Amino acid sequence: MEVTWIGVLIKAIIILAVISAIAGFGTYIERKVLAFMQRRLGPMHVGPYGLLQIAADGIKLFTKEDIVPQNANAFIFKIAPVITAATAFIALSAVPVFPDFTIPSWIPVLGGTFVPSIASDLNIGVLFVLGMMAAGLYGPLLAGMSQANKWGIIGAARTAVQFLSYEVVTGLSILAPIMLVGSLSFVDFNAYQAGGIGDWLVWKQPVAFVLFLIAGFAETNRTPFDLLEHEAEVVSGYATEYSGMRWGMFFIGEYANMITVSVIAAVVFLGGYDAAGTLGWLFIMAKIAFFFFLMLWVRAAWPHVRPDQLMWLCWKVLMPLAVVNIVITALVMMV
Amino acid sequence: MSEVQTVDNMISITIDGIEYKAKEGEYILNAARANDVFIPAICYLTRCSPTLACRICLVEADGKQVYACNAKVKEGMEVVTSTENILTERRAIMEVYDVNHPLQCGVCDKSGECELQNYTLELAVDSQSYMIPDTKRETTNWSSVLHYDPGLCIVCERCTTVCKDMIGDAAITTAKRGGAELDKSYKESMPKDAYSMWNKLQKSVIAPSNGTGETNCSDCGECIAVCPVGALASRDFVYQSNAWDLKRVPAVAAHSSDGAQIYYEVKPTSITDRTEKIYRVTNEWNYVSLDGSARFAYDFQNTTASKDKAAFDAAIEAFKKAETIRFNAMITNEEAMMLQTLKEKMGVKLYNPEVKAFQTFLNHYEAASGNSLWTTDPDAIMKKSDFVISIGAALRNDSPAMKYAFNNVQKLNKGAGLYFHPVGDTLIPTFGKTVEVFTHKVGHEELALYLVLDLFADKEKLPEDVKEYIDSFKKTETKTIKEKEVKTVKEMVLNEETGEEEEVSKKVTEMVDKEITVTTNGLVDLLGGDASKFDAAFEKMMKKKEHFSMMLGEDLYYHEKAENIAKLVALVEATCDMDVVMTPPKSNALGVALICDLDDAQSGYTIGYNENGDFRLSALGDGDLDMPALNQQEGTLCNIGKRLLPTNAAVEYNGYELNDLMKVLVGAPELTIDWTAMLPTDRGFKAIAFDDLTNSFDNDGSDNRGYRLETSNVETDLPEVEKCDESALLEGEIAYRCNPARQFNDFTDKSHEIFEAFALYASTEKAEALGNKVEVVFDNGSITLDVLADEKITGDIVKVPDFKAAKGVYDLFGGSRYKTVTLRKV
Amino acid sequence: MGLEQFKNRNVGTQNYTMVDAGHSPQGAMCQFKQVVKRTFKGELFVGLWVTMRSMIKALFANDMHTVKYPLEKLPISPRYRAIHDMLRLLESGHYRCIGCGLCEKICISNCIAMDTRYDENQRKEVSEYTINFGRCIFCGYCAEVCPELAIVHGPRYENASQQRAGFSLFEDMLTPIDKLNLQQEYDGFGAVSPNADENIKQTPLAY
Repeated sequence: MEVTWIGVLIKAIIILAVISAIAGFGTYIERKVLAFMQRRLGPMHVGPYGLLQIAADGIKLFTKEDIVPQNANAFIFKIAPVITAATAFIALSAVPVFPDFTIPSWIPVLGGTFVPSIASDLNIGVLFVLGMMAAGLYGPLLAGMSQANKWGIIGAARTAVQFLSYEVVTGLSILAPIMLVGSLSFVDFNAYQAGGIGDWLVWKQPVAFVLFLIAGFAETNRTPFDLLEHEAEVVSGYATEYSGMRWGMFFIGEYANMITVSVIAAVVFLGGYDAAGTLGWLFIMAKIAFFFFLMLWVRAAWPHVRPDQLMWLCWKVLMPLAVVNIVITALVMMV
Repeated sequence: MSEVQTVDNMISITIDGIEYKAKEGEYILNAARANDVFIPAICYLTRCSPTLACRICLVEADGKQVYACNAKVKEGMEVVTSTENILTERRAIMEVYDVNHPLQCGVCDKSGECELQNYTLELAVDSQSYMIPDTKRETTNWSSVLHYDPGLCIVCERCTTVCKDMIGDAAITTAKRGGAELDKSYKESMPKDAYSMWNKLQKSVIAPSNGTGETNCSDCGECIAVCPVGALASRDFVYQSNAWDLKRVPAVAAHSSDGAQIYYEVKPTSITDRTEKIYRVTNEWNYVSLDGSARFAYDFQNTTASKDKAAFDAAIEAFKKAETIRFNAMITNEEAMMLQTLKEKMGVKLYNPEVKAFQTFLNHYEAASGNSLWTTDPDAIMKKSDFVISIGAALRNDSPAMKYAFNNVQKLNKGAGLYFHPVGDTLIPTFGKTVEVFTHKVGHEELALYLVLDLFADKEKLPEDVKEYIDSFKKTETKTIKEKEVKTVKEMVLNEETGEEEEVSKKVTEMVDKEITVTTNGLVDLLGGDASKFDAAFEKMMKKKEHFSMMLGEDLYYHEKAENIAKLVALVEATCDMDVVMTPPKSNALGVALICDLDDAQSGYTIGYNENGDFRLSALGDGDLDMPALNQQEGTLCNIGKRLLPTNAAVEYNGYELNDLMKVLVGAPELTIDWTAMLPTDRGFKAIAFDDLTNSFDNDGSDNRGYRLETSNVETDLPEVEKCDESALLEGEIAYRCNPARQFNDFTDKSHEIFEAFALYASTEKAEALGNKVEVVFDNGSITLDVLADEKITGDIVKVPDFKAAKGVYDLFGGSRYKTVTLRKV
Repeated sequence: MGLEQFKNRNVGTQNYTMVDAGHSPQGAMCQFKQVVKRTFKGELFVGLWVTMRSMIKALFANDMHTVKYPLEKLPISPRYRAIHDMLRLLESGHYRCIGCGLCEKICISNCIAMDTRYDENQRKEVSEYTINFGRCIFCGYCAEVCPELAIVHGPRYENASQQRAGFSLFEDMLTPIDKLNLQQEYDGFGAVSPNADENIKQTPLAY
C-alpha cells in the first residue's frame, strides 16, 4: 500500500496520543506493581482500584504553579523538558508501533487511507532511534545546567557521564545483530526472525541481548542506574527545580524511552511482530509489556549502583564484552 | 533584748555521740531542735509546755528512758535518740495513730504537709497490728473561721496547748468522745507507752472548753497552724487548694505592730481567672504566733488599681498645693521616708493622729531615760521574764504579741503578772494563778507606776520626794491576831525497859494572842485592789522571781500627763531591775515615729493617704488615686521588737505608687525599695539595701528577719517626776477608743474573713442597759453605733472602735483615749 | 591521662562485634573473579524472585499488609495513651475524681488545671477541671498517679485539629451517665497491677 503523508500524520498523532497515554498509565502500573511487590495496595482511592489516579495526577501537574527559579536561564530551563519529550517521541517515529491498517472506506474524508506500522520506515531505523535517544541527553543536561541549582549541576554531570558512556555499549551491543541481519531497518529485523521462536536473535546473540538490556536500563535512567535523579543523593538531580507540567514532560519522556527500548529489544532480539496477522501484534505487545514489567520488577528488587561502579561496569566490563562479541560474531560470519 | 548566749549559761550534752551546747534548764527536745538534731515528736511545741500526749519523743538519757520534751538537760548528759526498745514503742505508737485514721489523704487539706504521714513513713509503718471499732465523729465549725474534723484528729493536743500556753484564750480542750473500750489483751501484748497513749486517744476529742459548740475566742487561728494533720482548717480554705500549689511569699503581718512573720500563700484565682490571689496565711508557728488580723486579714489588696494618668496628674497638682498630708501607721518605712522628704523639700505638714502621741511619748522617754528605744521585746520576755506588768494596754485588743508574752510567761516561766487597766477584763486573770488585775480609775496610770516603784524599786536609789510620796499612801495599824505557836516541852519519862528516866522533848501547839503592826498600802486600794489581801498575794508572786518586765500600752501615750508618765517609766527603769517594752499603736507606728517629723494638727488643703482629706490617696480602692496595699508592695516595717522587717508583694498591683509621685515632685530613685538604704541612720536605721536584708529564723528560734534597730543609751540623771494629778480623773460615762481583737484599720475591715463589726462594745450588763443602738455624744460631735456585748469586758466603760478612718473617731477623741461621753439610746 | 581516648572519634568501635562480611577482593584479578562469580551465581535473580514471590502472595494469598485507615482501624493496646477519659463509679454513677490534685501536680507539661470547693455534703467537689490538649504530651503520668482510677487514657486517638490548643472540660471526658454500663475498666497505665492483692497487707478487722 502507498504510504501517504496523511497516513503518516495519522500515525504520528496515534503515537503521540497513545504513547503519552501509555506513559501516564505506566505510572499507575509502576505504582501498583511496586506496591504489590511490597505487599501494599498502591493507589486505591481515585476511581475503581485507583485507576483514575492518572487523571488526578494529570490535573495536578497541569494546574500546578509554574515556577522558574530566579537565577535560572529561563529559556533553556523551559526548553529542556521539551527536548526530552520530543526526542523520545521522535525516536518512536522510526520504530514499528501497532500494525499497519487501512482506515475503513465508510469513514468520510480519511476513508481508505493506509496507516503504516512505522511512521517513517527509514532504512537506517536502528541508527536513527539510537541517535535520537542519544540526543535526548540534551534534555537532562540542559535542565540541570540551566536551573542554577547545585543538585541540578550534579545531576547534569551524571547525565552526561552516564548517557555518553552507555551510548557506546548500546551501539556496540546492537552492532552484532545488525551484522547478522545486514540492515538497519526494523522491518528487516522483523523479517530476519520471521521463522518462529527458533529464529529469534536472542539465541544467536545472547551476550548482545544482555548488554543491550543493561545499557537500555542506563539509557532510560531506570534503577539500578537512576543516578541522575537519585533523591537520596542528589535530591532530584536535573529535575530538582522542576514542577508541574515541565517536570511531567521529563516523566513522559522517560516512559516513552522505556517503551522505545522495550520495543527495540522486542523487535531486535525477540522476533518482533508477525506481519501476517493480529496474533503477532498481541505477541509483540506481550513482549513489550514484559520488558516494561521487567523494568518495574528490577526497580522493586535491586538497589542502585554507585557512580564509580557504573563507570567501571560500563568501560571495564560491558564495553570490552561488546567488542569481543562483535569480533566473535564477525569471525563466525567470516567462517 | 534577747538573751545573749554566753559560755556561762551553756552546758554541753551529747546526743548520739556528738557533743552539743545547750542552755541550762532547757528540755532535751528543745536543745536538740536548737542544734538541728532530729528527735521525732508530734505533740510538743517549742514555746509551749510539754503535753506528753504522743510519747514518741522517747529517748534514752544517761541510760534511762525519758521523754525528750519533758526532761531537762544536765551537764554531760548523754542522750541516745533511738534504741531498739524506743523504736518498737515509736512504731507501735504510729500504728495506733493510724488505726481508723481515714485514708482519704487525697482530699485532705493538709495535702502532704502532714506530720502523721511523715512519721508513719519515717517509722516505716507498713502493716497494722491493732484494731478497734471506729466512732462516728461529726465535722463542726467552732467559729466563723475554725473548721474541725474530729475524724482526722489524733488528739495530740497541740491546738489546746498553744491556745492555753501561747494565745491565752484556752478556748479549746479535750473532751470525751465515747469511743469503744480497748481490748484488755492489748495491755499485755502492746508496748506500754503505745497502750496508754491509745487509751487516752480512744476516749478523747477536742472541743470548745466553754461547753458549747462555739469557741468564743479571739479567732487567731493558731490552732489551725499547729495542727499536724488536717483536722483543723480555716473554714474558708477547706478544700480550696492543695498546699503544693500555693506559692509562699514571705511577708510581715501588716496590721498590728507585732510585725509577725507570715507567708502569704498565693495561687491563681481559678481556671478562668489566672490572676493570683491569696488563699491563706501561714507562719513559722514554732517561732512566732499570729493574731487573727495577721492570719485572716490578708485579702485587703487594691484590685481596682490601674495606671490612671488623669488621676496621677490630679495628684501631682494636689501635692503642689497641699499644706498637709494626713496619713496613718499603715505605711512602709520607705513611704514614710518619702513623706518626710516631701516635708523637707516642699514644706508640707505631716499629720498622723495614730502615731503623733506615741512619737511624743517616745521623745519624752528618751529625754528622761537616755534610752533611744525601750529595752526589751515580747520575744525576750517570753524567753526570760518571770514577772510581767502591763500598764495602759488593753492587752486583748491592742497588741497580740504582748498578750501572748504576758500569758506565756505565766504558763511557761512559772511567772506572775500585774495588770493595770481601767476596763475590766475577765480573760487576763485566767492566764495564771498569780496574776493580779487592777481595774483602776481612768487617770490613775501614774499611781500604777508609783505602785511599781514601791514594789520593785531599790529604795536607796529612789529620790527622797518620791519615797515620801509613796510612803504617804501607807497606813500603819496595830492589830491583835491569834497565831499558832509551836512550843517544845521537855518531860522526864520513865523508860520501861531500862528503868531509867530519860528526857524527852515533845512539840505542843498553842494558840497565842499576838500584837503585830500591819502596813496597808493605800496605793493598792486606790488602784482598785484589796490592800489587805495584796501583801500576801504579792509575797507569793515574788517567790523565785528573777527577771522583771513591764509592758506599756497606748493609753499612756494619749494620757494628759504623758510626759510625767514617761519620766516615771524612766525612773522605774533606773531604780528597779526592770525591762520595759512599749506597744507601738498599730502597724508601722514605730517606723513612722522614727522617720517622720510629725505636726500637731492639719491645716489647709489636705492630702489623705488612706485617711480623710481633700485629695485622697488610697489603697482601699476608693480614693482619688490608687495606692498599693501592704500586701502589694515591697518595703520594710518596724515592729514592737525594734526590728526593721522586710515584706514582699504577694499580689499584683497595676497602678501608680507613691514613688512615682515622688519622681515627678522632687525626684526619686527607680524603685520604692531603693529608699531602704536611705533611712535615717541617726534614728537607728542601717544603710542596708532591701535585697541584702535577711529573712529567716534560726533553729533555736532567734529572729534573723531584717535587722535590729540600733539603740543608744546615754547616762542621764534621775528624772524629776510629779505627783499624780487627781484632776485628770474622768467621771461619768466613759468611752474608750479600742478596737475589737482582730480589727485594726480599714484594711482588716475590708478582709472577708474578719467579721468584727464597727460597733460599741460593752460588758454584757452594760449592753443590756444600753439597748441595740446608741448615739455616743462627744464634746465635738457624735457617732451612732450598734451596741454589742463582749462578755469578756466588765465594768461600765464602753469601747468605741476607730478602725474606720472615715468615721473620724480619732478626731472625736481628740488627743486622748478616754473621753467622757453621753450615751443616748436611739 | 592522655588525650588518645578523646581523639578516637569512633566511639565504641572497640566493642563492636564484627559480622562475617567476607573479604573485599584484593587486586584486579580477585575483583574480576568476584564479578564473574556474582554474575553467574544468579544472586540478582534471587532478589527478583523474592519480590515476585511477595507480589504473588499479596495478590493471590491475601497477604496484603495495607490497612485502609479511615475505613479500617487496627485494634489498639489497652496501654495506648490517647485522649483522657473520666470514669464513674459503677454502682452509684458518681464520678470517681476526688479532686486530690495529684494529676495536676504530676503533669510535666503543666496542662491540667482544677478548681475544687467544699460542697453542701461536706465533700470535696471538683468545680472545674480542664486539660489543655494543645500542651498534653500523653505521658500517662496523670493516669498512673490517680489513686481512684478516675482519670485514664481512653482509646480516642484521632485528635488532629485546626487550632493550636484544645481545652477539654470535665464533662467532655466524663463517661456519659447513660453509657455507664458501657464503661470499660482501664487496663493500661496506672491500672492496678495483676498481682496487687499479693502486695496488700491485711489490717486486722475482727469486729
